[in-house]
This record gives sequence, structure tokens and C-alpha cells, in this order.
Amino acid sequence: MDERALIDYVTRQRWYGAKSRTVSHSQVLDTVTIRQAEPQLTLALVEMRFDTGVHELYQLLFSGSTGGGTFDGLVEDAGIAREIVSAMRSAQTLQGSQGVVEFQPADDFSALGRELGPARLVASEQSNTSVVFDETLILKVFRRLEPGINPELELLRFLTEQGFRNIPALGGWYAYSGGPLTATLGLLQEYVAGAVDGWELALGEIASAPESFLDRLGRLGEVTAHMHSALGADSSNHAFAPEEPSVESLGLLTATVDEEISRVFLSLPEDDERLAPILGRGEEVREQLRLLTHAGSSGRVIRTHGDYHLGQTLWRQNDWIILDFEGEPARTLVERRRKRSPLRDVAGMLRSFAYAATAAELTRDADIPEDWEERARERFLESYLETVDPTLLPPGEAAIERLLAVFELEKAVYELRYELDNRPDWVGIPVAGIERLMHQAAEAL
Amino acid sequence: MSEQWFERDPLWFKRAVFYEIHIRGFFDGNDDGSGDFRGLIDKLDYLEWLGVDCLWLLPMYESPLRDGGYDISNFFALHPDYGTVEDFREFVEQAHQRGMRVIADLVMNHTSSDHPWFQESRADRHNPKHDWYVWSETDERYPEARIIFIDSEPSNWTLDQLRGEYYWHRFFHHQPDLNYDNPEVQEAMLEVLRFWLDLGIDGFRLDAVPYLFERDGTNGENLPETHEYLKRVRAEVDARYPDRLLLAEANQWPEDVVEYFGDGDECHMAFHFPVMPRMFMALRREDATPIYEILDRTPQIPDNCQWGLFLRNHDELTLEMVTDEERDYMYSEYAKDPRMKLNLGIRRRLAPLLDAGRDEAELLHAILFSLPGSPVLYYGDEIGMGDNVYLGDRDGVRTPMQWSGDRNAGFSRADWAQLYLQPLMDPLYGFQAVNVEAQLRTPNSLLRWLQRFIALRKEHPVFGLGSYQALPGDNMRIFSHVRTWEDDVVLCVHNLARSAQAVQLDLSEYEGMVPIEMLGRTAFPPIGELPYLLTLAPRGFFWFQLRQPEQVE
Repeated sequence: MDERALIDYVTRQRWYGAKSRTVSHSQVLDTVTIRQAEPQLTLALVEMRFDTGVHELYQLLFSGSTGGGTFDGLVEDAGIAREIVSAMRSAQTLQGSQGVVEFQPADDFSALGRELGPARLVASEQSNTSVVFDETLILKVFRRLEPGINPELELLRFLTEQGFRNIPALGGWYAYSGGPLTATLGLLQEYVAGAVDGWELALGEIASAPESFLDRLGRLGEVTAHMHSALGADSSNHAFAPEEPSVESLGLLTATVDEEISRVFLSLPEDDERLAPILGRGEEVREQLRLLTHAGSSGRVIRTHGDYHLGQTLWRQNDWIILDFEGEPARTLVERRRKRSPLRDVAGMLRSFAYAATAAELTRDADIPEDWEERARERFLESYLETVDPTLLPPGEAAIERLLAVFELEKAVYELRYELDNRPDWVGIPVAGIERLMHQAAEAL
Repeated sequence: MSEQWFERDPLWFKRAVFYEIHIRGFFDGNDDGSGDFRGLIDKLDYLEWLGVDCLWLLPMYESPLRDGGYDISNFFALHPDYGTVEDFREFVEQAHQRGMRVIADLVMNHTSSDHPWFQESRADRHNPKHDWYVWSETDERYPEARIIFIDSEPSNWTLDQLRGEYYWHRFFHHQPDLNYDNPEVQEAMLEVLRFWLDLGIDGFRLDAVPYLFERDGTNGENLPETHEYLKRVRAEVDARYPDRLLLAEANQWPEDVVEYFGDGDECHMAFHFPVMPRMFMALRREDATPIYEILDRTPQIPDNCQWGLFLRNHDELTLEMVTDEERDYMYSEYAKDPRMKLNLGIRRRLAPLLDAGRDEAELLHAILFSLPGSPVLYYGDEIGMGDNVYLGDRDGVRTPMQWSGDRNAGFSRADWAQLYLQPLMDPLYGFQAVNVEAQLRTPNSLLRWLQRFIALRKEHPVFGLGSYQALPGDNMRIFSHVRTWEDDVVLCVHNLARSAQAVQLDLSEYEGMVPIEMLGRTAFPPIGELPYLLTLAPRGFFWFQLRQPEQVE
């Protein structure tokens, strides 16, 4: 295969995570034929090497005839993904030159028995590729591969075991194990039909029906609390047992966030007006952070959702469904699997309210009640704190607030960098967020 | 799905940053005054944050501890102070889940005299293990073999009263050498390796490997038989355990040490001992010559092998691999108090050797990280811990890790008197002044700096994998060289002087390229036809990535 063409193709994909880096080489490490007959479907493990010599691994699905023009089967013909589902159904093991791909159905997943209907590609995705069948099943194909079990698979299985109902049922998965690495390649789950995306719902309702949306957020607080209680419920399972954080955990958190702030502020473009409110104030932000973390407990740590915001929720039949347990796509799998305070998820959601309010103004031209964000926070937090297993949290309201502020700051700085790299038009949102947090932190102290 | 947390990479060690841990001194997980594996598990978050890739554990086996655990009395059990084999297994699994590997010290050359093998062997001259050790009726064989622990051992032979024969020992008299001429001994030691490899360990640092065999008329070091056996060990490991590491401790000249790499079929790594004292010498003399010279004298090694580089470790700063004149110089500069000397070396930690100089600490880490090899950090040096020269042997550099300003330095909740050693309390290096907690909170602390520096090095595999080319300029106070790997070209320039310096470097080979300073991502003027002029702050350094102009934003 032509290396240049491969590099061109991969680097143009939305799911390609290293857009700011220079690729020096690319090669196919292993291939596994999923479908022999035309149109063929071949899974390939592709290595992208950067100019400094580090690399990333990606999953590609070639289709068409060998050597034929198309690279990515799913984009050309989403229907071909049925081959992956049927391999799961029959629990196949397929041999490559360096390893095997194993397909597994989940226990008691009835929907696998049916014939698959029409397939369509999900348009809005960043780091994966997903195909919806018949509006009842969704196959998620992980693109960037890292060694180890994918947290989405791990958490869905665990939450199912724990009887947490507000997730889509898991249908099956497939994974590679062999020479280069062992990694989850993708999973199949229930597609939640007839549901509204929480983010879209927010943008619509914040202006049109703010009160009823606040009620929904009250319920979201409860569901979030149940999720955390379930994630911290099994102390016999090493991967999920709640732990007392080590003595220096708060120090490590501070140091990590502080480095992130410093790095982001170091590279802020100086000619962007939207950055004006925070430009040159990096040291101030870092000082706030140090004050917030100067003392106190950080509660217990558990496995968390990891990338929690309104866009990861669905509203269906008067209840919330929580999606996407993969964690933040830009972080390594080791980081995404790390146990953390559940308040980190809570902070993500709170940031999401701030985001939604501003976004509703920006994109919907909506007139947002001034105190909406404050009330949304209160409503969500109140029902969350009432419901969650309190032994997971630091003792006392003040400690909770401070820790939340730290996580919100971490989140906002992460958003800032993300928007700068990906959606410069949205930069104003995290900027406003950081500014707001600085005020808030100053008042809280 | 089996849980495997690493990409397959037989050469992982070439890009790794190692971190050496004295288990007893790291963290006490069960409040008995001594560090243990439960404690190590508690501190994995810290080590992951620091960014180290591989933890090297000092000996953890059952031992009477007359030589810090290098006197093993049971190869298949942990010292009870450290925990159980199950604790160890969990520690390895938890480290793996955090992306860190684990290697452990293993002493192949000798055992403790308490080991049941030796007790059986000494009982009489006919028992089944009678020749598992090296016995002789006289103490006159192998006179060419030097005595290593010259401060405590008068001879390499000691008379065993029970058996009425002398036994051979290259180290302390309570550490009899195993007899590798006996195939049963060879097989027994392979059994030991397999036991730990099956538990998930990623490799071994093989202690004192040059001395496995003895032959008349030789000094008993680096013998062909030793290499042959190590090759057998390597083959056994490769056959059943992928991506594992054998790291040889051979305190020898580079031309002898390279023998331990074989043709890439013996040890994966070996320590480069002689480069270490020369870094200190260069710093004190403000002259790069000793570093250039020793690297010049270092032979090429096979592509699948790597040097292990370090500034300090758990032993004395060894001066075996320097000339007498150089040794006198090192003693006069770095060991003004005779208590600081031990055997042929200086028993001090990094920070006191540098008179607590922060610029010096950064500079030496920069040089260490820039040289071809994998750096090995010693626990506590990342926060600039001190030593206690009034403690015996090498205990002075093995005091408890200083986690915080709390009781017992946050190392243990046991009574002060119960601690295996008391943490340092002096005003400069004591735990009130130097500790992890305080440095985590201080953005400009040595610890925070080193964490950033490790991250930088890991972003550039060139430091582990690339070629080395010395690039002396017109000023010998500057140590400068170029590392190249694939498309990554890095120019490292270090000022050894305590005054600001200018240097002109001949960079004509890189004409047109733009140096990007790697810590701050600042672009410097493009390289032209004329020598490239750089000015450096006292003990300052620059690392530049050389990039084509079109690659620079």
C-alpha cells in the first residue's frame, strides 16, 4: 500500500487525533479479513509515526476490492458494518498475521437475534466512527487504539452488573490481541431511539421553558448520583473498588492543573480579542488554584464517567440515559482509567450548564434569564448531594465547593485549549468560564 | 481479553526513564517503621505523575540484611518487612495499569551465608550441595582477584570452621559465591528468574555479574564462561517472556562492559559507570573534556542494547573507574570530610555533592538526560534530599523518603524510635525543608521542574534511540553535542562554568535550519554559514530541536 496515500487519508480524518503533529511514516501492522466475498471488509491496524519518533495506532476498515480506491468501508457503505455485528453474534475469532480479533456477544442481549435493518453513519462524531442499524442498535468503532480494555466497555459491563439502568444495553464487542498490542476495537450497544440529546434539549429549553428544564436537571442530579454510587459499590473488584486517595493526591492534582494552566497561558495567541479578559492573567489563575487547594480532603476516589457533560446524556420517556464512558479522547487510556473524585464528573456537568447558557445565546440568539446558570447549578447539585453515597465525597460543604471549583477550573482550561485547537469561534465560552471562576473563587475564599 | 497494558515493544527500555527505589525507605504501608509493598502501591500515583517508566527495586528477598538485602537467604520469598508475594503481585499489576514497568535487583553471584544452600554445603564435603559454593583447602587460589570491599575484608577467602575449608567470596565474608561451574547451580538460578517472571516482573537488574566464574591465572572478572551463562539466561527469558529486561551491573571500563551486550544476545542494558564521576569532575573543573573523552572511549553497542546512566544510586559514588589522580581530585573536591569516603567512593547524595545548588542540579540532569542511554533516577534526588554521613556503610543515602513536613516526614505512622532509620532533620535538607508535599505546591521547585523535564524527554525518543555526535565549540567550558533519530535532530549545549559563557559552534551541516529551544518553544535565529554564536548563563543549558524553516510556525 502506498504510504503517502495512507498518510494523506488518515491525517484528513476527523477521528485523527494528532492534527498538530508532523507525520514522518505510516505503516500497516496487521490486517484481518472480516468478509472474504466482494465487497470485502478488511480490518487494519495502522501505525502513524511522527517526526520525533513517537507514534499512535489506529483502526481502519478497508472495503472494496483489494487495491481498489476506497479506504474506509464504513464511510462508503455503512451497511458493511453488519459483517462486524454478525461476527459478534457468532462469537468469531479471526486470525491476522500478528494476532487475532475476537468478537463477543454480551450475555442476554436479545436484540442480537434479529436481522439487521438499514444502516446509517453517525455524522457528528469526533474520535470514533459509529453506525446505527435500524434505529435500534449502534456499533461504535474506536479509531485511536491504546493497549488495555477501553473504559467504555469496562464501565458498561460493570454498571450493567450493578443494575444501573440509565445506560444503553451492551450488545457485544470486538478486540484485538497479539503482537502489537491488546486493545478493544469497538462495541455494539442499544441505540436509544426517540430520545433528545441533552445538549440540544438544553439549548432549546433554556430560553423557551427554563423552569421545566430545571426540573429535568434535578432528575439528572439524581441519576448522576446513582451512577456514582453504583461505580463505588463493589469494593471486591480491584478495578472499581473505591480508594482513599494517597496523602499527596490533592498536591498531585494541583500540580497537574497548574502545569496545564501554565502551558495553556504560555501559548495563548496575543492578538485574539476574545481572549482579552484572561490574557496575561495566568499567574492570577494559578494563584487562585493554589489557594483553593491549600488544605482539605479530596474524599474517596472511584472510577468515573470521565467526560461528563450534557452532550453525553439523552432524555427519553421522562428519564435520562447516560452515554459514552470513554473518557476525554485527548487523554491517554491510563489517565482515563484513573480513579478520581466523583466531583470531577459533577464539575464537568456544571461547566456544561455555563456552556449551554452561553451557547444558547450565541447560536440560538436566545434571551437567557440572568440567574439561569446559578439556578441550574443549585438544582443539579442539591439533588446530587442528597442522593449520592456521602462517603465518596470530602466532608463538609466548604470542602466540596472548593474541590468542585478546582475541577471546574481544570475543565475550563482544558476547554480553552480544545477550542483554540479545534473551534476557535467557541473560544469565548471557556474564556467567560475562567473569568467567572476567578470571581467565584475570590468570593469563596 | 487478557489484560495487557503496554504496546508490544521489545525495546521499551531504550526510551524509558528509570527510578530506583529502596523499598524499606519509600513508604510504610503498615505502620511498622519500615517501607513495604503496600506503601509502594500507595505511592504509585506519585510515581505516575512524575512520569517515570520503570521502577527498579533494590533487593526485596528474604535476607538477614547484613548487606542491605544483597545477602539473600531465600530467592523465592520476600523479606517479611516488605510484605508477601501476593502483595508483590498486586504491586506489579497496579504499576502496569498505570503504565509503569517493574524490575528488581537479583544477586546471582552469591547468597547469604544463612541461605539453606550454604548451610547444607558447609555441613561436610560429601553432601548433595557440597560443590554449590566455591571451596578450597587453601586461601591461596586466585591471587589475581582484587578485594572489592577493601574497608572491611582482608581476603576473598574465609575459613569455614565446620567444613574445615575456605570458601570464596568477592564481597563480604557472609556472602559466599555460588559455584557456577556446577550445572545444578546454573539451573537453580534460572528457576529463580522464572518464578519472578511468572509473577509479571518486567526484568532484573543483575547485581555483580562480572564475578560468576573463577579461573586460575585470571582476575576472575568478565570471564568468557560468565558471558556464556548470561547468554543462556537471555535465551531462556526470550523464549518464554516477551519484552523483559536484563540490566547488568558491571562496574568496569566501557570496553569490558560492552561484552555484556554480546551480539545483542546477552544483557539488554548495562550501567555506564565511568561517565558518572566524569560529569561531577567536569562540573567542578568547569571543563567538558572528561565527558567528551569518556564518550569518545565508549564503543558502539548493538542496536537493541542500551546504556543505563545515573548521577547517583544507592551505593557510594564509585571511583573505581577513574585514574588514581582523578580519584584524588574527586576526594578533595567532593569528600572533604573523610567520613564521606567509603571503599573507593563517596557516600553522598546528589544535592549535598552539589552544595544544594539548584542550577547545578538542573544542569547535571540535563547532561544526564541528553546522553545516549536511559537515565536512572535515585529516589529522593528528585526533591534534592540530603544524606547523613554519620550513619554506617551506605545507610546515609538510604534514609526515609521525605513526603511531607509531618511526623516522620510522612514516611511512617510508627513511633519515631521504631523507624528503620530516622529521616533527616538538619535545617538545610531535613524533612521540614525538603519534602514532596511542599515541592508539589511550588511551581518552581526542583520536583516540578524535573516532572516537566521528564515529560519533555519522553516526547523526544531521540534521547533514548538517537545517534550521538560530539560537537565541541571554541570554548571547552561548554559541553555540546547533537542527537539524531529519524527526523528529529536535537542540539544540546551545556555550560559547565559558574560564569556566563559564549561559544561558537560549527553548525554548517545544519545550515538553513531553525533552532527551537525545547523548554519554551522559542525560535532562535536560523543557522547560517558562519559559526553559530550562543551565550549561556552560569551553569545554564539549551536544548534545541533543529527544524526546517517550513516546519516552524
